[in-house]
Amino acid sequence: MLTKGKMIVAAASALMITSGVATAAELTIYNVASVSGAFANFGKQAEKGVKLAIEAKGKAAGMDLKMVTVDTESNAGKAARKVKAVIGKDDAKFFIGSTLSSTALAVGKEVNKAGGIYINGSGADEITGKQCNKSMFRWSAPTYGAVNASLTTVLDRNPNIKTVYTITPKYVFGEAMLENAKILLEKRGIKLVGNSYHSLKESEFSGYIGQAMAAKPDLLLLLNFGSLATNTIQQAVNFGLKDKMKILLVWSNGIDHLRTLGPKISEGIYFGSQYWHDEEAPANKEFVALSRKMFGETPNYPMAHYYQMTKLMLDAIDKVGTDPVKIRAHLEGLSYAGITGDEMIRAEDHQVEKYFYLLEGKAKADMNDDDDLAATLSKKKYFLPTSETGCVLG
Amino acid sequence: MRVRGSFLMSLYLFQTLNGLGLGLIYFLMGLGLTIIFGMMNFVNFAHGVFYAAGAFICYQFIAWTGMFWVGLFAGPIVVGLLALILERFLIRRLYASDHAVQILVTIGLMLILRESILLIWGTVPKNVSPPEILSGVLLIGDFAYPKYRLFIIGVTIVASLGVWLLLERTRFGMTVRAGSENPIMVSMLGVNTSKLFAATFALGVTLAGLAGGLMAPIRGASAFMGAEALGIAFVVVVIGGMGSFVGALAGGLIVGLVQSFTSGFWPEGTNVMIYSVMALIIMLRPNGLFGRS
Repeated sequence: MLTKGKMIVAAASALMITSGVATAAELTIYNVASVSGAFANFGKQAEKGVKLAIEAKGKAAGMDLKMVTVDTESNAGKAARKVKAVIGKDDAKFFIGSTLSSTALAVGKEVNKAGGIYINGSGADEITGKQCNKSMFRWSAPTYGAVNASLTTVLDRNPNIKTVYTITPKYVFGEAMLENAKILLEKRGIKLVGNSYHSLKESEFSGYIGQAMAAKPDLLLLLNFGSLATNTIQQAVNFGLKDKMKILLVWSNGIDHLRTLGPKISEGIYFGSQYWHDEEAPANKEFVALSRKMFGETPNYPMAHYYQMTKLMLDAIDKVGTDPVKIRAHLEGLSYAGITGDEMIRAEDHQVEKYFYLLEGKAKADMNDDDDLAATLSKKKYFLPTSETGCVLG
Repeated sequence: MRVRGSFLMSLYLFQTLNGLGLGLIYFLMGLGLTIIFGMMNFVNFAHGVFYAAGAFICYQFIAWTGMFWVGLFAGPIVVGLLALILERFLIRRLYASDHAVQILVTIGLMLILRESILLIWGTVPKNVSPPEILSGVLLIGDFAYPKYRLFIIGVTIVASLGVWLLLERTRFGMTVRAGSENPIMVSMLGVNTSKLFAATFALGVTLAGLAGGLMAPIRGASAFMGAEALGIAFVVVVIGGMGSFVGALAGGLIVGLVQSFTSGFWPEGTNVMIYSVMALIIMLRPNGLFGRS
């Protein structure tokens, strides 16, 4: 026999179940990515990384997890406006990612004003340098690390390289890449015989390749990324440059670039990469298995770093709750087992110290399976000392 | 001094040949658009996505058969057949509509087709290799130019001549031109204008598919490649004049040469120069170089 009180509880429970009222709170992670525009391909892959991290975690601090994508449209101004809008409307606090450095810098300012947490993977040194702020963390190695880790190994392996030609996208990321390359080349006594700038909307690179051919360098150093880099390499090989000089793409998408180009084109070309799926680290093996199970595919760089950044955010929330001040304090100085091996977040500038890979495209005959497109030549950590970054966390 | 002179000579020769090659590709992209607009007074904002579809179908047939030539042939044919189906069930309902309606519907069509490409082939761009015989470069002294780009120039010239002969020297072309001037009169003379317009639309779209297939070994196949192609095609058509075959040729060559030479001395300003040239031509000749008022 039910008592009056029990009947009320039972009725209320039944009402909640039938009306679909959620009993658990929900935590929203805002995925800042370009899912339209010139870098839409990157953003669509990145979304998968966030989904994987959410799927793997299930709940954080007892809350159900939800992803909302903020489409940057590959445009820093639009990205900042959209982020500001969700902060104002939904009191959004937790942001992940960006495709372009200019976007990361713009979004970082908005999130900092709102007192949230923002973990991104963009390259410009300023993100954890002169334009750093207390809300912004960066997982990827910055341009300094990418250039030094990849170019140093290529120069060491090819002592006959005496001249270099660069192709650079004209914006903050490209400028930072070029600046770091110039410093390193000067240190090594290697001559930069020319540089071609191009816009972010470029798809025809034959004019720049003609300039590079005429300069006859020993190394063609590509400082662009994504589909810009794919087109550059494809057209450079069309023009027979692979037979005349070494080619290094410093900031590749790893397996995506290698798959798109195919072994016929990528054989013998060097690719710098933030991530490589063959990494033996246990956290990576777990991630690769999850990706293959959920999407039936081997993960690429956009997926990998959005996964790792989301995982960092969710693990922190799980540990200390949703107060951004506590999350920040928890992340600063944190060492953890990441997808590239041992990783550590520097407290002074919020830069994650992680490995950067140099790959060399394999010939089809040397591949063990469809994903075995490159050999890992080196795995290095290169970061400016915190005293030299110019970062003051305000 | 002589070395510097030879270097510049080689560079100018390269930029000129490259500009002509690019210009002919842009001509092919603009030609389909200008035929559809000029003959049918129809504004097709889905033209770029047909270009992308041509590249993907080319890729797919090569993946299935391992033969480049099959892919290059299948790309425009399949895209042309798709155009016939779309014309039958959607496009022909818009001929009598305002241009604004045509633009809105074809933008919608473009989005549907682009998302379909993403669903079928995914977000990662696909690579297409040219056949062995067209791989590598043709060397003349210090001067090198890819064999495949020379092949594109040849194919484009042949295809353009074919289209010109079809439109200017055949009964079909004569009827299409007459239909564009006065469709009611042509219809009263016993010509089936529905079929005529369907064939014209399919021809224009087939050319976009051919351009996509030809460009795949140079720029790969990407779901988003159509937007840029559409922009360039419109610039070509605006410079040359809406509906003009010769205008599309002139527009394509101007855009190709401006792009090639600008990349030599002001690489980051290539798009600015292309659009500046277009603006200048519109100011001097509002209907384009060969456009009808």
